[in-house]
Amino acid sequence: MRNKELSFRSGPLVDMPLLVAIVAIATCGLVNLYSATSPYIGSGTHGRIADIYVSQIYWIVVGVLLGVITTVIDYRAFERWATVLYLGGIFSLGLVWVLGTDIRGASRWIQLGSFTFQPSEFMKIVIVLMIARYIHNDPQTEPRTLIDLAPPVAFGLVPAAAVMAQPDLGTAMIFVMTTLSVVGMTKIRGRSMLNVAVAAVIGMVLFWNYRGSLLHGYQLRRLESFVNPDADKTGAAWHALQAQTAIGNGGLTGEGFMQGTQNQFGRLPDQYSDFPFAVYAEDWGLLGSLVLLALYGFVCIWAVHIASQARDRFGAALAIGVGAIFFWHTLFNLGMAIGLFPVVGITLPLFSYGGSSVVTTLISLGFLMNVSMRR
Amino acid sequence: MVVAVLVCFLALFARLVQLQIFQSEQHRATARENIVYQNTLATTRGVIRDAMGRVLAANRPSYNVYGVPAKIDLEKVWPRAVELMRLGEQEARDLRARIVAIRANSTRLATQQILLVADVDRDVLGVLETNADEIPGIEVVPSPVRYYPYGTLGAHTIGHMREIDGEMLTRVSSRGYKPGDRLGGTGVERRWESYLKGQRGWRKTLRGVRKGKNLDELEARYLEDPRSLEPVPGRDISLTVDIELVKAMEQAIRGQLAGAAVVVDVRTGRILAALSKPGFDPNVLSGGAGKTEVRDAFRRLYSDPLNPMLDKTISATYPPGSTYKPFSALAALAEGTITPSDEVDCRGGVEYGRRYFRCTGVHRRVNLHEAMVQSCNSYFYQLGQGINIDRLAQIGMDFGFGVRTGIGVNPEARGRMPTRSWYTHHYKGQFLGGWTLLAAIGQGATTVTVLQLALSYAALANGGTLYQPQLVRSIETSDGTVVQEFPPRVRRVVELDQTDLSLVKQGMKGVIMEKEGTGYKYRIDGIDMAGKTGTAQVDRATGRGVDQQKVWYFNRDHAWFAGYAPADSPEIAIVVLVEHGGGGGKNAVPVAMKVVQTWNELKQKRLVQKAKPGGGSRSRVQ
Repeated sequence: MRNKELSFRSGPLVDMPLLVAIVAIATCGLVNLYSATSPYIGSGTHGRIADIYVSQIYWIVVGVLLGVITTVIDYRAFERWATVLYLGGIFSLGLVWVLGTDIRGASRWIQLGSFTFQPSEFMKIVIVLMIARYIHNDPQTEPRTLIDLAPPVAFGLVPAAAVMAQPDLGTAMIFVMTTLSVVGMTKIRGRSMLNVAVAAVIGMVLFWNYRGSLLHGYQLRRLESFVNPDADKTGAAWHALQAQTAIGNGGLTGEGFMQGTQNQFGRLPDQYSDFPFAVYAEDWGLLGSLVLLALYGFVCIWAVHIASQARDRFGAALAIGVGAIFFWHTLFNLGMAIGLFPVVGITLPLFSYGGSSVVTTLISLGFLMNVSMRR
Repeated sequence: MVVAVLVCFLALFARLVQLQIFQSEQHRATARENIVYQNTLATTRGVIRDAMGRVLAANRPSYNVYGVPAKIDLEKVWPRAVELMRLGEQEARDLRARIVAIRANSTRLATQQILLVADVDRDVLGVLETNADEIPGIEVVPSPVRYYPYGTLGAHTIGHMREIDGEMLTRVSSRGYKPGDRLGGTGVERRWESYLKGQRGWRKTLRGVRKGKNLDELEARYLEDPRSLEPVPGRDISLTVDIELVKAMEQAIRGQLAGAAVVVDVRTGRILAALSKPGFDPNVLSGGAGKTEVRDAFRRLYSDPLNPMLDKTISATYPPGSTYKPFSALAALAEGTITPSDEVDCRGGVEYGRRYFRCTGVHRRVNLHEAMVQSCNSYFYQLGQGINIDRLAQIGMDFGFGVRTGIGVNPEARGRMPTRSWYTHHYKGQFLGGWTLLAAIGQGATTVTVLQLALSYAALANGGTLYQPQLVRSIETSDGTVVQEFPPRVRRVVELDQTDLSLVKQGMKGVIMEKEGTGYKYRIDGIDMAGKTGTAQVDRATGRGVDQQKVWYFNRDHAWFAGYAPADSPEIAIVVLVEHGGGGGKNAVPVAMKVVQTWNELKQKRLVQKAKPGGGSRSRVQ
C-alpha cells in the first residue's frame, strides 16, 4: 500500500489507514456514548444527559473542521508560531487562576460566552510544538547530556506545574509523559539515562513517603485505594471496582448494545467521561475490546511510523508528540478502567464526552495527518 | 518505541483477558447482585388464645418514624419535623447530633434510614401523615408489635417478647432472625416460638431502574425464577387456660403481696389457670412503648425483692408443709405402720432425741382422720418415727415430686424429696431420725413446686393417675384449621390401695366440711370440697404462737391450700400458695374458695349456654 501511494504521488495525499482508524474510533466512540447515556432516555430531570451525544457530534464537526485546517496548512508554518502559541498557552493557564470556573473542586475551565473551555487540553499540542521546534533548531548530533535536554524538558514541566496546581494530576502527568516521550526520541548519553533512572527511583520513593503533603485528599484516597482496593470497597475504590465488574460482566461476546446491566441500572459512575470503556467492554465483550485496542494501538504505532518517515526533525518530533499524547491518554484511561492504574481523570480519546478533549484530539491528529502527507 | 507501545497494549489485552474470560463468572455474578435486590416480606406472628377462644396475645400495628440523614434539611425541615413529632428539647438535640455525626462520617451510611422515634401515638401519626410534604426525608413506617389484651393476667404463662441483641443474634441468625427482630422471651411465647413466628417471604426486585423503562419486561429478563416466596403466617396456639378463671384468681389473691395458684383439670392434667404474683405487663416488655421503657421495666422488675419475673408456679420451690401429710399418711398406711384407728395423744408436741417437735396446738387423742382434719403434727411425728424416710420420699416421687413435670414452659424447678442418702451426703455422713419427722409434715429439706402439688392432688382426686401437665391444647393455622391437637398424657398410675386412699380423701374432705377442719371457716355452701391446708415454716426462729404480723416479712410462714372439688366426683384440683402469708387456713383457703366459686359459676353458665341451641358454639375450641 505504501509503495502504491508513493508511485501515484503527485501532491499531498491523504493517509488512508490513519483516516480509516480515526473514523472507526470516532464512530465507535459516538455509538458507545449513546449507549452510555441511554439509561437516561425519557427520565425526566436527567433526560438531557441522554442527549449529550448530539453535542458530541457538534464537537466532532468542529474538531474535524479545525483538524482539516491544521492538515491543510503546512506543518512547518507552525514551527514559526510555536513560541507565540506557547506563551499564549502559558498565559491562558494563568488566566484559569483568575477566571477559572469551579467544577468538582478544581478550576480547569475558562468561560467564553456560553462555552467553557479547558486551556490545559490545548496546551498539550502546544508543548509538543514547542519541544519539536527546539529539537529542530538544535543541530547537535552527538548524544545529549541532561544539561542539553534541560530546556525542552522545562517546556513541558512549567505548564505541568501550573496544571498540577489547578489541581489536575491527570493532565500534568500527560504533559510530563509526552515531554519525556518526545525528548526520549533524541539520542541521549548512556550515563545520563542511568542518572535519570536512579533519580526516578529515588523520586518515586520520596513521593510515596511524602504523598500526604503532595497530593490532595481525594487524589491520595484514590491512590491508596488502588494500592489496597479491599480496604475501602465503598469509598474511593468504588468507581474502579464497578468499572471492573462491568468489564468482566461483558465476558467474551458482551451483553449486547445498550444491554450492559452495570450501565443500564446506573451502577457505573462517570460512565460517559472517565469510564466509557467500561460501557463499551460490557456491551461488546472481549472481542469488541480487542478491535478497539487494535485501532488505538494502530494509531500509536502508525504515528511512530510517520515520524520515522518525516521530512525533517520538526515533523518527526511532532508526530512522536501527537502519538505520545494519544498513547498516554489511551494507556492511562484503559489502565484505570481495568484496574491497572489508580483512578485519575484522563479522557479516552474520541470516546469520552467533552468538547475540549474531542477538539484537541482531532486537531492533534490533524497534525499527524499533516506530517504524514508532507514527507 | 514500537515495541514499547506493543508491550503496553499487550499488557492491557492480557488484563482484559483476565477480567473478561477468567474472572468473567465472578464479575457476572457481582453485576447481577448489583441490580437484583431481595425484599423481605414480613410475616405475622401467630395468635395465642385461651380455652374459650379469647385472644391472649395478638399483634397490633405500631408506627415508627424513620429519616434519611442525607435527605433531611437541618435548617428548614428539621425544626418543623421536631415540632410535628412533638420531641422534647433534649431528644431533638440528641437526634440532631446523631444525624450530623452520620453525615460527617460516611456518605453512604447517610443515605440509609435511621430510626427517629419508635411507636408514635395516633395523634402524631395523623399529623405526620397529613404534613408529609413538609418533611422530605422523614417517613412513617408501620411495624407490628405484640399486644396482650389482658395485660398482667397470665403473663408468666403467656410470656413476653424480647428484642434480639447482638450476643443472641449469633445463636439464632441461622434460624432466619435478623437484628431488631423480636422473639419470645418467656412462657408460651418462648417455648412455642418456632410455631408462632411464621416464615418470612421475599420478593426479588430490580434496583436502579430509571423512570420511563418497562419494568415488567426488565424483570422478566433479569429476575430468575422463583421470583418470590410468599410469607407463611405463624401458627395460632390455643391454651388450656381459661383467662376468666385466672382473673378470678387475681381478684381472690388481691390482698396478698406475693403468691401463686394453679388450677388443674383432674381428669386430664390440663392447666385451667395459673397465676404468679406479683406479675408484669408483657405489653411494656415486648417493646410496644419503645426501648427505654423496656430497659426501665426490666431494671424495675429485676430489682424487686418479690421477684415479679419469676414464675412461682413452676420455677420456684417451697416447703409444702402440711399439704404433704396425705402422702405421708398413704405411705404409712401402705407400709402398715399405722392403722386408721390408732390414736396419738397430742400434748402440743413430741420430744424426739434432744429436740422438741412442736404441734400447731393441743389436740388430745386423735386418730388418722382427726389428725388430717385438724392438721395435728404430733400424729405425723409419731408416724414419722415408725417409717423410713426413703419410703416417704418414694411416695412423693410416685406422685411426681422431686422431678420436673415436663410442662416445658419456663425454666422448671425440680423440688426435693430428701432421702437418707441425700441427708448423709449433705450433712457429713450423719443422719438424724428427726429429719424423718420433719419430712412427714412436709418440712425439713422437702420442697415442691406449686404445679407439682396441684398435679399430685389431681392424682389423689382421680384415684392415682398422674397426668402430664398440659398448657397447649391445639395448634391451628391462621385460618383456623387445627394442625395438631394434644390429648392428655398419663405420666404414671400410682399403685394405691383404694381403701387407704378413700380414708385419706375422707380426711381431706373433713378439712373443709367438718367443724374442726382447718378450712371449715371459709367453706362455700353448695360446693363440696376436699383439701389440706398448710403453714410452711420458713424460719426456724418463727415458732408457734409468734404473731406473724410482727415478724419480718421474709421470715413469715408460707400459707398453703391444696385441694380438689367437688369432693366426691372431683373435676379440678387447686393449689394456692401465699408467700409469707402466715397461716394456711386463714390466708390461703379464702383465696382458693373464691376461685372454686368462680369456677363453679363459670361451669354453670357454660352448661346453660351449651343447652341453648347455637350457644357456646362461639368458642372456637370445644
